[in-house]
Parts: sequence; structure tokens; C-alpha cells
Amino acid sequence: MRLKTPREKRILYTKTTIRWILYYLLIFLFFTIMTSGTYTKPILLVPAAICIAIGNDVMASAVTGAVCGFLTDMACGRLFGYNAVLLTVFCVAASLIFELYLRNKFANYLWITAIASFIQCWLDYKFYYQIWDYENVSRIFYFVSLKVWVYTVISSVLIYMIYRLINRFLMPKEHLTIEEVIKTA
Amino acid sequence: MREFLKSTRFKVLLGFLAFLVGIMIYAVTKGGYSLSGASFVQTATKPFRYVSNGITMKMERVADRISHADAYYKENQQLKKQIGELNKQLTDYDDIKKEVEELRKLVVIKEQHPDEVFSQPAEVLGYITNDPFKGFTIDKGSSDGIKPYCPVITPEGVVGITIEVSATTSTVRTILSPDLSIAAVCSSTNTDFGIVEGTVLTAEKNTTKLTHLDPDHKLKQGDLIITSGNSGLFPKDMAIGTVKNTGFEANGLSACAEIEPCADITRLGNVFVILDFTGKKEDANAAKDTP
Repeated sequence: MRLKTPREKRILYTKTTIRWILYYLLIFLFFTIMTSGTYTKPILLVPAAICIAIGNDVMASAVTGAVCGFLTDMACGRLFGYNAVLLTVFCVAASLIFELYLRNKFANYLWITAIASFIQCWLDYKFYYQIWDYENVSRIFYFVSLKVWVYTVISSVLIYMIYRLINRFLMPKEHLTIEEVIKTA
Repeated sequence: MREFLKSTRFKVLLGFLAFLVGIMIYAVTKGGYSLSGASFVQTATKPFRYVSNGITMKMERVADRISHADAYYKENQQLKKQIGELNKQLTDYDDIKKEVEELRKLVVIKEQHPDEVFSQPAEVLGYITNDPFKGFTIDKGSSDGIKPYCPVITPEGVVGITIEVSATTSTVRTILSPDLSIAAVCSSTNTDFGIVEGTVLTAEKNTTKLTHLDPDHKLKQGDLIITSGNSGLFPKDMAIGTVKNTGFEANGLSACAEIEPCADITRLGNVFVILDFTGKKEDANAAKDTP
């Protein structure tokens, strides 16, 4: 992005700082929701991480994925770092896919989130339940894992809207001069 | 002036004044009772005075509010502050009351199990997200003397065991989990031994399962199942749950029973961790108890 004046730079830094503060405040809020109560809940941090990843560069997405993953590990009582690795991979992949191949559209975000959260739920089931071969273990997949996945996909719609709203006001926009437009056309 | 003093008007006035003085003196002699005329007037004007007094009082109050607004505002602020302090005291009182109740329960448990060392009451921070076996985290950790594989109980009975301990928090695996096995015996018969171990199916109903029972067991619905404490993972004679129903394992070789935990695992507020007890097995790496 081309910055012209010190004022533009200042506005960009301020907006970026506020944007990231809001991102992480929401992440904290989602973590709090996930750790409250006893009912089956969506893994809100997965769509949140992907939502951030699709609008930002790879490095920022990786860090956000790791943070969300660590928080998911804490909330779900998993090995510390397990979900961090998964979400970092998901976020980097999502960031790259959106940068290179896909447009930043809701439908694209939804199917990417659906796939990512399904993989997360499926691996969680595989490593934490099926591997121990409990009696009737498949019930956990059908009545817990799939339920969590469906809830996660549904909740991702709301999460997308929230992050979209933040991006709308605080995401820096690229301004090109007429000469640059002609040159790039 | 001289003309006025000599006039009839002045004489009439003097007479009227004398009449009034006379009435006054008469009234004094009545000993506190009203004169009949005055009484009549008072009775007749009573309803009007009510209305009039009401209106006047309201007006006075309005005037009073306006003229003393500052003083009332200050008083209001002071009272609000006092209410805030009293509410805080009330909250503190509730906290202390809750703590006293918890400690009272601890004393009861302590009396029942004098050989055991308990932690301070630990509050449940939250349940592990989407855990089908209702594992949870408590607000006490290694700085409070808690180690992995310490039994966790409530006054009602056994809840689970600590599996992961940090400085200030601990994660608890509950008796609904298939990964925790507790050697148990029926309290009434004292002969029907088995292993309490959760299953996926029983965890859905928030119950657990007593397995490896002798096919000729004498268990019946409502019997209390307690820890046998054979292998040192849990102290002896701690209530686990009551028998809900009995049956046979799928292989048909041994019997089993569904156990309703004494403590409501899904609605825990405070728990206690047993830090030490007589017969504790130090090498508790395998969180499996044997009958």
C-alpha cells in the first residue's frame, strides 16, 4: 500500500491498532463464552481465527491462529499446543488461499470455515476418544463432535458479520491515482 | 384625635374589646375545652381545612425541595454511599456465610475421615468445553499442595481425580470418565466388590457403571456404593453413588450395575481435594484402582 503523507500514515497506524485490539477483545470474549456453562458449545475461536486470517497477511494470521489455538486448548482441556498447531495451519492456509485464489466473499469464508472446523472436530474425536477405543465411542462423534461442528458453522455467520463490521470501518483501503489505475489496467 | 376619643365609635370599640377579653377569660375558665361556637366553626370548616392543608403542604414541600435542593442532594449522595457500603457488607457477609458453610461441611467430612488431609474448599472455575465426561477445572493448584492423582470429593461423595495441576488451577477427571477406575464395594453387603468406571453411554445420562461384579451379587436398587480403598488411589469408605439398576455385561460372564453418583457432577460449586490419607499409594501413575 502506498502512503503519501505523515497524516495518512498516522491514520493507518491508529486504525490498525484499534482493529487488532478489537480482534483480540473479541477473541477473549469468545474464549470466555466457550469456558462458561456445561452445555455443548461451538468452538467459536476457529471461525474467529479464520475470519481474521482471510483479511490479513500470513504472519499475522499465523500468530492469531496460534493464540486462538492455545485458548482452545485451555478451554477444551487438550494438550497445550495441539489446537495451536492446527489453527496456525488453518489460518496460514486460509490467508494464502484468499490472497491467491479466492475473493473475500462470505460464501468462500463459510465453506473454508466449515472444512476447517470439521477437520478440527474430527481430529479431536480421533485423538481424544476413538484412539482409546471406548465402548460405543462413535456416539461421541455423532452426538458431540458433529453437534459442535454444526454449532460452529452456524455461529461463524455471526462472527463473520462482527469482523466484517470492524474491517469495514478500520481496515485500510488502497487508494490509487488515475495514473496508477491506468498503469495497472 | 380628641374627637375620636370622645366619639361613639371609640366607645363601641372599647366595648367590643372588653367583650373579647371577657370571652378570653371565659375560655380560660373552660379548662381546655373549646367554646361551643369555636367548636362549631372548627367542625364546619374541617373538610375545607383538610383540602387546604393538603394543598399547602404540597406547596410547602415543593418550596422546601427547591430551597433545600443542595442539602437534599448532598444527603442523597451520602445515603447512596451508605447503601453502597451496606451492600458491600452484605456481599461480604454472603461470602463469609458461604465460606462458613463450606468449612462446616469440611469439618463434617474431617470428622468422618480423621486420617485425611484436605485442601481448602476449591471452587469450580468451569467445565471443560464439550467434554462428554464433564471434566472441570478448579481454582486450587500445586501452590495449595495439590498433586496429580489426588481424589476430589464433595460432602456428598467422590467426584473424580486431579489429572493436570498448574500453580493455581487443576483439571479434574470425573467418575463419569472411562479413564478413571475406582475399586468399590457395596456398603450394606460389604461383599460385592467391583470397579466403578464410566462409559460413553452412562456418561450421557450423568451416571457411571460398576463392572466386574460377581454374577451372584446381592446388589439391589438404592444400595450405596463406596470406595474399597484397596490400591491406595482413593481413601476407604467414601461414598460414590447408589445403584440405579443391575444387569449383565455383554460377555455374560460378570454382572454390572448403573450407578447414580451421590454428587451432582454437572452442577458442582465447591469441591475438596484430599491431599493425603492413610494408605495412599505414592506411585499413582496409572489412575486405575483395583478391587
